[in-house]
Amino acid sequence: MAEILIYGAVTSAIYAMLAVGFTLIFGVARILNLAHGSFYALGAYTAYVLTTVLHLPLLPSAVLAVLFVAGFGVGLERALVRPLRGSQIAVLMITLATSLVVEQVLFLTFGSEYRNVPSLASGKLTLLGVDISAQRLVTLGVSVTALSLLWLFIQRTRLGSAILAVSQDPEAAQYMGIPSDRVFATVMGLSAGLAALAAVLAAPFLTVQPGMGLLPMVKAFAIVIVGGLGSIPGSILGALLLGYSETIVAYLISTSWTELVSLVAVLLTLILRPAGLFGKRAAF
Amino acid sequence: MLASLTWKDLIGAAAAVALLAIAPLLVKSNYLVGVLTVAIIYGLWAASWDFMSGLTGRENFGYALFIGAGAYTAGFLDTAYMANPWWGLPAGVMAAVGFSLVLGFPTLRLKGPYFALAMLSGAAILQRLMLIFWEKTGGEEGLYGIRPLLDSQLGFYYLVLGATVVSVMILVLLARSSWGVILRAIRGDEASCQAAGINVTFYKIASLAISAGFGGLGGALYAHYQLQVSPQLFSIVTTITVIIMVYVGGMGSIYGAVGGAVLLTLLTELLRDFGEWRLLVYSLILILILFFLPGGLIAPLWRKLRGAAR
Repeated sequence: MAEILIYGAVTSAIYAMLAVGFTLIFGVARILNLAHGSFYALGAYTAYVLTTVLHLPLLPSAVLAVLFVAGFGVGLERALVRPLRGSQIAVLMITLATSLVVEQVLFLTFGSEYRNVPSLASGKLTLLGVDISAQRLVTLGVSVTALSLLWLFIQRTRLGSAILAVSQDPEAAQYMGIPSDRVFATVMGLSAGLAALAAVLAAPFLTVQPGMGLLPMVKAFAIVIVGGLGSIPGSILGALLLGYSETIVAYLISTSWTELVSLVAVLLTLILRPAGLFGKRAAF
Repeated sequence: MLASLTWKDLIGAAAAVALLAIAPLLVKSNYLVGVLTVAIIYGLWAASWDFMSGLTGRENFGYALFIGAGAYTAGFLDTAYMANPWWGLPAGVMAAVGFSLVLGFPTLRLKGPYFALAMLSGAAILQRLMLIFWEKTGGEEGLYGIRPLLDSQLGFYYLVLGATVVSVMILVLLARSSWGVILRAIRGDEASCQAAGINVTFYKIASLAISAGFGGLGGALYAHYQLQVSPQLFSIVTTITVIIMVYVGGMGSIYGAVGGAVLLTLLTELLRDFGEWRLLVYSLILILILFFLPGGLIAPLWRKLRGAAR
């Protein structure tokens, strides 16, 4: 029981970071960003290069990796997404193309074998009678902190209010003099940074390979559908639901069945409550 | 664009088919026949993807699911049950149509981008299932030892060519009939269509099922060409390859999609030494097309040619 409680919390924390970034972009810019998974892969590989190839210390490389991917997100928004924003489908295609380019470049540079990223914290701890690696606890702590900071940033700062304003009514926000392009770029950077942070934290106990981004993105999508598109509390709740159900399935049945949980969750949500738990607008 | 077929279109189509039919007779090489077979199967996939997604504007990012369903069904029937391999073709079509109905009902209520992502998830999960049930599906390696449909490679090529020509003709005629008009109208404004008394759900699901059926047929043919199937068929890479072909051809024209598929497959063979770079090149082509040629390449070219020959 205690094992499920603790491991489920760690899984949920990683999912929450991915899903909140995904839903943030959707809520503010109305963009479904298929390059979200490549932010995650890029974060893990940047951390790998900085630590294993360039032999930088762990903490600075983690920070650098997050900043680099955040910059990549901003650049992607500026160069490729912004000119095509008129058409939702074109944005979908361009982000998908970007994610393929990233995956292929990673594949051509590093090959398809699994890479290891060193842990930020080593050793094991015992919590509630459960042995857990320190890295997983760090992951849990950092992600809760990061998400709380994000919440404070959105609720309390000027830029945060601008983000909220654009998400409620982009046109009215623009009339009020809010530079919506800059808000979009900020949100893209935040979302990319969060995905990279999730990757840097989780990479030591997950596999790092070029195609690693797809499945987490599918899960982020599932969580966002369950929680309600565009709702941050919804996606945190969705992440907890999915993280815990996957952990329970992994303990009761087998780890290879966990991937199915997200499919069942999406299908049930679409049939029973298409707007998601906290969604205002239905997804259709 | 919606005008009925002109004699110029028919001559153009006949010329293209004749060229594809004669090519292996002029250059006697098994290698060329193989490349053309794959090119034409991709043409069938691209055309049927375009029929549903190009016309209704709902991009199907999980199209590989139907290809995989058709291919695995044909593979199963052949390797596990040793049925007559010809049964694989109708069975593959039926399996794909079945999947499209099961997935279409919950997902087609979604607007474009959400539908795209829901289908993407569906295909990803099915690929996962193939690995989970590895005892039955062969896991990463997939199914081996599928028997060929015909002994002669050239004969199989003509079978594939014939099946594709008939399928594409059906799709083009449907797209130019009142059915196609309704699908395009749904793309324009779904609410108005509903208000006009059109059963939007029926048309959307039926067009998905048609698109899936031809995809499954292509999948079954592909299984009998490769003589093996692997879970890679379900991957997003398969879907995106087909979508890029449609974009190169020109969305919504169907015949353009076939042209795009043949063009890109031949191009890939020219770049064979850079095999690893194929997907990167494809993605870059897609980015360039989105920015500079949103209407595609083949269909606008043909319209120009047709206009010039007046």
